[in-house]
Amino acid sequence: MGTVHIKDEARIGSEAKVKLQPSTYLQKLYQSGTPDLGWMDNMAEWGVRAKPGNLGLRLKDIQIGTYGQIPDQGGEHRSMAPRGAVIPEGLPSLGFTLNEKAEVWADNAAELYEEAVARQWSSARDIPWSELKPLPDDLERAMCQLCTFLTEVEFIAADAPTRWMSQMNQDFFEVKMFLATQAMDEARHMDVFRKRALANGGGLGTASVLSELSLKRIFDAPSFSAQTGRLHLLGEGFVLTMFRQGEFIAPCRVDQEIFRRCMQDESRHVGYGTMHLRAQLKANPGVAEEIHEQLDDAERILLETFSIPESVEPMAILMGGGVKNFDKGMDLQGQLWRRIVHEYLQRCDSAGLDRRPRCILPTDFSKLVEAPPDAVVS
Amino acid sequence: MPSFPEPAWFLALGRLMEAEGALFQRLGFAETRFAVRVVPDEGSDGGETLVGLVIDGYRLTDAKLLDRLETFDPDFVICARRSVWDRMLSEIAETGRPSLRHTLSSLALMGEEMWLESTDQLREDKFYRYNQTLQELLNLASHMPAR
Repeated sequence: MGTVHIKDEARIGSEAKVKLQPSTYLQKLYQSGTPDLGWMDNMAEWGVRAKPGNLGLRLKDIQIGTYGQIPDQGGEHRSMAPRGAVIPEGLPSLGFTLNEKAEVWADNAAELYEEAVARQWSSARDIPWSELKPLPDDLERAMCQLCTFLTEVEFIAADAPTRWMSQMNQDFFEVKMFLATQAMDEARHMDVFRKRALANGGGLGTASVLSELSLKRIFDAPSFSAQTGRLHLLGEGFVLTMFRQGEFIAPCRVDQEIFRRCMQDESRHVGYGTMHLRAQLKANPGVAEEIHEQLDDAERILLETFSIPESVEPMAILMGGGVKNFDKGMDLQGQLWRRIVHEYLQRCDSAGLDRRPRCILPTDFSKLVEAPPDAVVS
Repeated sequence: MPSFPEPAWFLALGRLMEAEGALFQRLGFAETRFAVRVVPDEGSDGGETLVGLVIDGYRLTDAKLLDRLETFDPDFVICARRSVWDRMLSEIAETGRPSLRHTLSSLALMGEEMWLESTDQLREDKFYRYNQTLQELLNLASHMPAR
């Protein structure tokens, strides 16, 4: 019958355990030769014609008619049937548990998805690795330890939210698509920092118990929004500033390119998190306390992370330009600490979370060595 | 020839941006309206200059002098003294890009020589989201007289 040769065709199905009765429809079709075509009259909204904009046909261009209506509650069928399609009876539920729009939504999710797709880059192609030159030993060791830290922590922003992604109602597919790009970004970050550590005569340094504790708490967050507060608002916001520092401290153009490109990716993630929390807090103000509790703990772990040499010293050495300028590096790090705290609180403001009275991050880096009288030792 | 920071100078950069289409398409599109504030050096005459700029995709579509920021509603404003801008443009003219610690991002990070202004951190973050595009746009000044 066909021209495609299939190996051992006669044996196919000879030991099958399941027997399937041919459908009534197929029997009728083969007998009469007349197609049914009833589905042609069953289109959700026929006649829609999305028009591409100046940057092509983007998601925002197809938000038209009923297709552009994002429901406050995701479809009760809990299946992957596309939003806007005709929904037949009997769809098996995939058991989505995040079915309220406010639990996942951000108004910029579609925009950030398109931007992420357009601004992807390749660590192999776009980083000028051939320009990497040997660095003084202290700078290379510091850069390798920093890259070890970043290799260790970056992929949490793929692993953690994608656990929730599979729980999100498919009607909020824009959010899922954005989170998929975030996972891809984090894969690239893990990839590029690992490559950098191994590319210039150094190698990986020491992993961190405190970093792992921080990752575990993100992993164990009790809700997606709680995780978003912890991950996007504080964690990724902090790493975003580190990437900016990385661009600043880069001893060569290779490192500068790496950090700058990662910075661009990370700011999309922070943008999603801020907007999601804004939407969630507006719809459900009571969630604020849950997010505050997450941030109470996350800020504490961040401070503890900044209490060990592997975290403090590489950045100070890179900022100062070597061990010999360690004090200068610490001064610069202190200036940047203020920026980290400032931008974090600004993002909290933007999300609609009044964090200032409850924040335990000191605005002065030197205060990290001053324990308050009622400090809790954890 | 227009000179920095006249709007015509930025529009000339915009034409170079379109000519370098492949570079900017590889970086990905950017959508932002922002402003450049040139603050006079201490002791020099004259007031500050404020230029509003719009990047739409892969094109610089608008550049104009601003009297007031509010009417333009920028995502962020990049501010620096005239001498800092001149130093950056001079380095770009010499090597095609600013030196490592004189990039837009590095200078804005330290916040002393260059600083950002914005009404909302989310909008300010566009400076970081599109940073490579912004820097490459300025780097095109290597093909133009700086002043």
